[in-house]
Amino acid sequence: MLNLRELQSRFFRAIARVPGGGEREGFDSTLLQLVQGRGRLGPAQRLDLYAHMYCARLLDALHEDFPRVAAILGFERFREIARAYLARNPSAHPSLQYLGRHFPEFLNTAVEDIELLPFLADLARLEWTRLEVFDAPDAEPLQMEHLQAIPLDEWPGLRFRLIPACQVLRSAWPVHELWTAGEEAALSALMRPTATVVRVWRQGFTVYQASLDAIEQVALDGVQTGEPFAAICAALAPLLPQQEEAALAVGSLLTRWIEDGILARLQPN
Amino acid sequence: MACTVPYLGHGVGLRTQHFPRVWEGTARVDWFEAVSENFMIRGGRPLAVLEKAREIAPLVLHGVSLSLGSTDPLNDAYLHDLQTLIHRFEPAWVSDHLCWGSVGGHYAHDLLPLPYTEEALTHVVERVRAVQDRLGRQILLENVSSYLTFSHSTMPEWTFLAEVAERADCGILLDVNNVYVSATNHGFNPAEYLTALPAERIGQIHLAGHSDQGTHLLDTHAGPVSAPVWDLYRLALHRYGRVSTLIEWDERIPEFDELCAEAERARAIECEICGGFYAESP
Repeated sequence: MLNLRELQSRFFRAIARVPGGGEREGFDSTLLQLVQGRGRLGPAQRLDLYAHMYCARLLDALHEDFPRVAAILGFERFREIARAYLARNPSAHPSLQYLGRHFPEFLNTAVEDIELLPFLADLARLEWTRLEVFDAPDAEPLQMEHLQAIPLDEWPGLRFRLIPACQVLRSAWPVHELWTAGEEAALSALMRPTATVVRVWRQGFTVYQASLDAIEQVALDGVQTGEPFAAICAALAPLLPQQEEAALAVGSLLTRWIEDGILARLQPN
Repeated sequence: MACTVPYLGHGVGLRTQHFPRVWEGTARVDWFEAVSENFMIRGGRPLAVLEKAREIAPLVLHGVSLSLGSTDPLNDAYLHDLQTLIHRFEPAWVSDHLCWGSVGGHYAHDLLPLPYTEEALTHVVERVRAVQDRLGRQILLENVSSYLTFSHSTMPEWTFLAEVAERADCGILLDVNNVYVSATNHGFNPAEYLTALPAERIGQIHLAGHSDQGTHLLDTHAGPVSAPVWDLYRLALHRYGRVSTLIEWDERIPEFDELCAEAERARAIECEICGGFYAESP
């Protein structure tokens, strides 16, 4: 007789062994002897129902989290890769929302012929980032009137902070274009490597994304690393040799960030 | 002792599809039940909608991953998150399932069946007590639909559930659809199940749809409540008196008003069985 611990271990192994792998002739015989098979279903068929539900639920969850990747790969190919992922990364969290957290990395390292679509792992990263941003902590955004209230002599030392629901993603591919293209998988053939930096943020309840030009990349880098405002301006100077241009660029960047709500309200010193 | 939760009337499960109605304040219903794990997040729309739902009507938290029957240690981080939700939203009560869903640190995200043995009974009672002590409140345990039973079980499910409730002093969330699905799949009499449960411990009833797969019934929550389940609900009300009742609908989810129409149907049946004035909720 199996004790409860052994029964549960064997049961879990049986239903998760080869997720969705078709025939399950090789069910654990000790376990099968404990399953009652009265009525129209035998013990193996009954256990197989649980194996099927395990697989279907988890594959559906991954499909929901990575719809663009799934659309490009096609239903069957996505499911095949997702099954391999589940075999190596069974859920280790009570909430299904964390199931796909290693999926982008898995696409990058563990899928043999993924080099045919080398941008796929980065597209998955973008999809995952959007999910993280969707339910990241709320924060009060910085408003224009807050900025206007800051005395001029404090500006050089100002340190801006991004809200928690803003992330910056770097890729060798214009993944944001692929994301926008939706299910036009044919576009993937047109993809050429282009160093791309995308910021993903939430404003209200909506998640947005935008690619960054060189100036915004440098400035946002400075914000993320906690540089004071004067240092950020200094870092931008080589990109904008004319002083008037630099002031204008910094001003318009701050305006855009405030309009997008990605800066957190400054904490009093 | 008994189950001490208040009577809330006839509610519906809070689902993403109905978030716009809740947000605009037009989702009128006696009470909402929210799946706890969906709100164990740090910010954004779901939590804001749950705040709104809580303003509209009483709220109950219903978990799916407490894994009370598991032989893994209780998940401390999970209980912490649940406690945080409880403090913030002050649910009328908290419930989870009489099942297991994890072992060796891995989660199946399913409600897996237990063998109904003394060993499992002792284990579950101890875990329910530990959770109640940690949360500082009585919880309700729900019977699950099942597709297999274990040959070394020494008692029927209804005896096991009643014993857990008595020994751990917890309440029972009776899922009438699950009783019907399991009764069909395992060939027992669902009326016997209902008769065996202690009436004073039934704090809530779940109603939902199932689908007939030919060889078995599947608990899909994908349609309206079936006629035999309504009949069983009548029997439950005869046996227990009026009980807070909730409609679950998780696949092919209808418009909010259609969902509420199912809850109204339950209200009408309750009035027919238990008496009282029948008035649709505003």
